[in-house]
Amino acid sequence: MSPHESHSGELMNAQVIRLLSGVSVHGDQHLAEVERDLVQMDVLLSEAIKKLCASFMAIHHAIDLQQETLKGMLSAEKAAPEQAARLEALREEIGQHVGAAVTGLQFQDMTSQLIGRMVQHLAGLRDVFGALGTNGSTDLPESGSEEMLAMLSHISDRVGARCTELAGTVRSTVNQRHMESGDIELF
Amino acid sequence: MTKTILAVDDSGSLRQMLSFSLKAAGYGVIEAVDGQDGLNKAKQQTVDLVLTDQNMPGMDGLSLIRALRAMKNYQSVPILMLTTESGDDIKAMGRAAGANGWLVKPFDPARLTEVVKKLIG
Repeated sequence: MSPHESHSGELMNAQVIRLLSGVSVHGDQHLAEVERDLVQMDVLLSEAIKKLCASFMAIHHAIDLQQETLKGMLSAEKAAPEQAARLEALREEIGQHVGAAVTGLQFQDMTSQLIGRMVQHLAGLRDVFGALGTNGSTDLPESGSEEMLAMLSHISDRVGARCTELAGTVRSTVNQRHMESGDIELF
Repeated sequence: MTKTILAVDDSGSLRQMLSFSLKAAGYGVIEAVDGQDGLNKAKQQTVDLVLTDQNMPGMDGLSLIRALRAMKNYQSVPILMLTTESGDDIKAMGRAAGANGWLVKPFDPARLTEVVKKLIG
């Protein structure tokens, strides 16, 4: 290799490293924003469900009391059978709505599990960008494409190792497709 | 005498819904926030049925079932998994660990209490 070829090889490597570092910094910034938003979304969703649950419990309690009061009034006034039947039908209808609300309120749990999973994957990606940045700034190959290949191979190994690490720790995904209650199987 | 159910889930809203549904059906409920907490509470008082999530920080549902089945007083207590997981492999692992049944989230209170009633009356 001529001195001229060697010099242009070094320039090319330096340029690639600069680009990798740029990708690392910008990529990390974007991912950090997404991570922050996801965490905030989880906080807001949890708070919404906490408030909904509290209201749900209070409404349920009040309706129970109201039903008891009405029942007492109807029996004291010797109500017509159709009024008692109407009250009973309402009680059943309320029971069905309460059941549906209990099922509906559980979807937050699954959403939160998915958000947690996304945050873990984002942390993995940020680590990859970190690896690019670290290699781009400290382990600069002085010359030659072999050193450059070795550096990229090192980054690839780190990414691979991080993926394996994540596979062992990340939460399971949620594959809920039908939006009714789940299956029950007794062994 | 009121039958007691141990409900183990790291989600506060899920525990609240479980507790609400089971208490409305006349059961007593002890809540635990993860597998280890569930195990500690199960040691303090032998319950009539255990209902546990799978994915929890620290000790997961399968580990909890194995730990409970290793205890003399929990060898015949019904244990149900209540989880988002529905794959055949994990169900087989649950069965091998000693679970008596598998419920996929979200649960319907009427169907849940029906199953509980079938197991412990």
